[in-house]
Amino acid sequence: MSAAGAEAEGGPVSTASATGGESGAAGAVLETENLTVRFGGVVAVDQVSLDCRPGELTGLIGPNGAGKTTFIDAVTGFLPGRTTGRVRFRGRDLTGMAPHRIAWAGLTRTWQSLELFDDISVRSNLDVASRRLTPRGAVSDYVLGSPAPESVSEVMELLGLGDVADRQPTELSQGRRKLVGVGRALVAGAALVMLDEPAAGLDRAETVWLGDRLRSLVEAGYDMLLVDHDMSLVLRVCDRIHVLELGSLIATGAPAEIRDDPTVVAAYLGSHGRGDAPGTSR
Amino acid sequence: MGPYLQQILLSSGAGAIFAALAIGLVLTYRSSGLINFAHGAIATYVAYTYTSLQNSGDLPVPPLPNPLAPIEGVFGVEIIDFPDFVHLGEGWNKWAALAGALAVAALLGLAFHFLVFRALRYQPPLTKVVASIGLMLALQSAVVIRFGGSRPPAIEPLLPDSVRRSTVDIFGTIVPWDRFVLLAVTLALTAGLWALFRWTRFGLHTRAAAENERYATLMGISADRQAALSWTLAAVLAGFVGVLVAPTTSLTPFNFTLFIVPALGAALLARFTSFWVAALGAVGLAMAQNALLYAEIDLEWFPDLNLDAVLPFAVIVVAMMARGQVLPSRGAVETGRLPRALPSPWRPALALTWVAMAAAVVIWGPFDYRAGMTNSMIGAILALSLVVVTGYVGQISLAQLAFTGVAAAGLASFGTEAGIPFPLAPLLAALAATAFGLLLALPALRVRGASLAIATLASALAIDELLFRGDGWFRIEGNPNRSFDDPSLFGVEFGPTSGFPVNGDEIPTPAFGLFVLVVLALACAAVIRLRQSRLGEQMLAVRANERAAAAAGVNVAGVKLAAFGIAAFLAGIAGALNGYKLGAVKIDSFSVLANLSILAFAYLGGISTVTGALYAGTLFASGIGVVLGEELIELGRYETYVAGVALAVTAVVNPQGIDGFDRQQRERVKRWLRARRDRRAMATAAATAGGSEP
Repeated sequence: MSAAGAEAEGGPVSTASATGGESGAAGAVLETENLTVRFGGVVAVDQVSLDCRPGELTGLIGPNGAGKTTFIDAVTGFLPGRTTGRVRFRGRDLTGMAPHRIAWAGLTRTWQSLELFDDISVRSNLDVASRRLTPRGAVSDYVLGSPAPESVSEVMELLGLGDVADRQPTELSQGRRKLVGVGRALVAGAALVMLDEPAAGLDRAETVWLGDRLRSLVEAGYDMLLVDHDMSLVLRVCDRIHVLELGSLIATGAPAEIRDDPTVVAAYLGSHGRGDAPGTSR
Repeated sequence: MGPYLQQILLSSGAGAIFAALAIGLVLTYRSSGLINFAHGAIATYVAYTYTSLQNSGDLPVPPLPNPLAPIEGVFGVEIIDFPDFVHLGEGWNKWAALAGALAVAALLGLAFHFLVFRALRYQPPLTKVVASIGLMLALQSAVVIRFGGSRPPAIEPLLPDSVRRSTVDIFGTIVPWDRFVLLAVTLALTAGLWALFRWTRFGLHTRAAAENERYATLMGISADRQAALSWTLAAVLAGFVGVLVAPTTSLTPFNFTLFIVPALGAALLARFTSFWVAALGAVGLAMAQNALLYAEIDLEWFPDLNLDAVLPFAVIVVAMMARGQVLPSRGAVETGRLPRALPSPWRPALALTWVAMAAAVVIWGPFDYRAGMTNSMIGAILALSLVVVTGYVGQISLAQLAFTGVAAAGLASFGTEAGIPFPLAPLLAALAATAFGLLLALPALRVRGASLAIATLASALAIDELLFRGDGWFRIEGNPNRSFDDPSLFGVEFGPTSGFPVNGDEIPTPAFGLFVLVVLALACAAVIRLRQSRLGEQMLAVRANERAAAAAGVNVAGVKLAAFGIAAFLAGIAGALNGYKLGAVKIDSFSVLANLSILAFAYLGGISTVTGALYAGTLFASGIGVVLGEELIELGRYETYVAGVALAVTAVVNPQGIDGFDRQQRERVKRWLRARRDRRAMATAAATAGGSEP
């Protein structure tokens, strides 16, 4: 599936074409293969083959409209019927699975627009995500009750949400609400969390703080894919970065490589004459 | 073929009113994002106003609240007396009457917009649906109050005799000329609206506002004014066609109001976007209905199943299945939230107090209090079913009453006919209702919001027509076998006629009331437990945000199915109890209008809490609240009217319902008390501090 990378519009960046086949064999957590999303005539994600490795914070960056969020939507099963290509996760083929089954498989996500459950407490937000409910499980829980899994309090501790556990998400600050979203993705027994622009709407200091939190989560054993167009954040905290432009993968590499990659710089600073500078928020 | 062609052409009266309603629905949806269930009721009200003006020059005045009614009731005097009609000269000339009636229509449209729907623009679909149902009930019952439930007196039709009397011969089929006029008028109105939207500033602005309200507003377009104009126009259209076709279709307060169902079907076909598809769909629907109706009479083998009435349902389901997420969403500025669904902690002492009080009323209360209490308790179980499906999961169901009908019929089959003993027979009957509930949940997996309300409304209509009437499976009408024996367990009978030491001579006896009380207590406990359970938590997650719930590993389809199933089971239990109470299945109990008022009352009580369901129970027809209310103010025939108005007012002023309002007040009192205590503590602290200082 290295062919896919070579087809990518960006062309000569060697790392992009190398990802799919080889590192996939080296035990990637997540691997997409020629993932393509079409909205009518528009190809929003074009034959993207990339991977996330265990123990790493992987970055996915690109200017506005590059297809980052669409990529997440496609991987997490929210665009059935529009998506072609394959998604492999921890050796399982997730292609075509319903979103909740993908979450059960250990691949979870957050949303740029938060999408919290505003009607229930922060603790319940995490509780909901913390377990799979089978019909039998639902009945036995209804009759006998069941304790909240330890992961809920652990994650709340980890994210510093303990003191607001019984508040409703709408009562919290924007930064705290982002963390609730992250927490909800973490408690699901996630092997990989895809974070969709967690820094959007945060100021500089908050962004730095968030970056540190993410780093410590990776140290704690959670693998993550960080989607953002804030270059400084991504370059600072990620181990490896994929770059999308106009739906295609144009580069993959370590932060230092990406920073100096002419294709990436052109994509960001506007080879088309229209600036979309790093760090601008949507 | 001849008679069929004739039937198809004769349908143009119905076709015209369906089409006028459908394009009106499209118009108001495009301009304000609202589906107006009261649209048919507007046509009814205007048509009756026209007949009244032409007949006697009397302008009907909708019933107005009399603030002194309680005093008048107690002292038996009349202080304020609003007129029923304003007498404006003798019978009006028909054109003057038309102008008067259309002015009333315009006023109705404006009033709807400015008094109700403008305030609801950013509210969730449930609130909007409920408000428009409230207005529909209010308008429809206003007509019943003013004119009675029958057809209005014959009046001079709008079309001149020369048009109405002459006929045309088409392939040997004689068709009155006016049918073609009606069709032509329908098409002309549609073309007019289409042109208005296509080529005028009004149309452009409305389209812009629908596309993106925020930017349209920034461009200086008043979305509000556009919506007001559209509402007026839609109401006038509906009123005009209502007046036009009243002589050729049977105008009664009920059937015109229910023309909203086929009109909704046609509007759905048009995705609430295209006037042409809506109008032509409506005309086609009317034609197909007439052909089916004739086939039922004409063809021996054709089942007598009221298939014509089921057709709109079929159209709606097909439209939804074929188009998935049917309605184009509007770029609204913000969306309000549903009433909060707070978990109820276990409070055994409080629960026991309630049960004891209810038991006391049921045992020692006067006859009408006992009967009212029993009705209320059954109603509360029905309201609980809506708490589960609508309150917890946010799915609007207008079909709960149909499930009670299925269960009642099932109880007759399992209990009376198959001879299955007591606890099993009603449980099986409720399970039969559950099966229907799961079937009905299928559209809910694809559509949501107002579309789902339409789908469930149409399903209720279909179940009513297919199962309970004609050759339907349950054949309730005139079927003497559909009666029940009193339930009994271990030799103890507890039906409405079972003996009881106190008050045992009047039906329903306390034995039955206590039985219902036990069932209600169990149902409340079950729903409270549901809210505390994982499944309940997932239900609220689905209600809050389906996408996020799925991403968090919630099986959204499974949760919805569970909710519909549980709700149908509860409704089925209520249906079985009602069957026992009546001793037989009665068909009127499951009518579509009754279905609508069930949701209305449940919302009024508080749709998302168990306490709200109990409040709702007291409000239901002949419930304890109504019995009490009757003592203070003579509600009588105003009951539906008052409920409808109260519903619209609740949706606008206090979407949390009575329970939410009650909670807010208690919170306020608590906060005030706490603040006072804190102030005192501080004052004391300051005093002691001040005292020790020097």
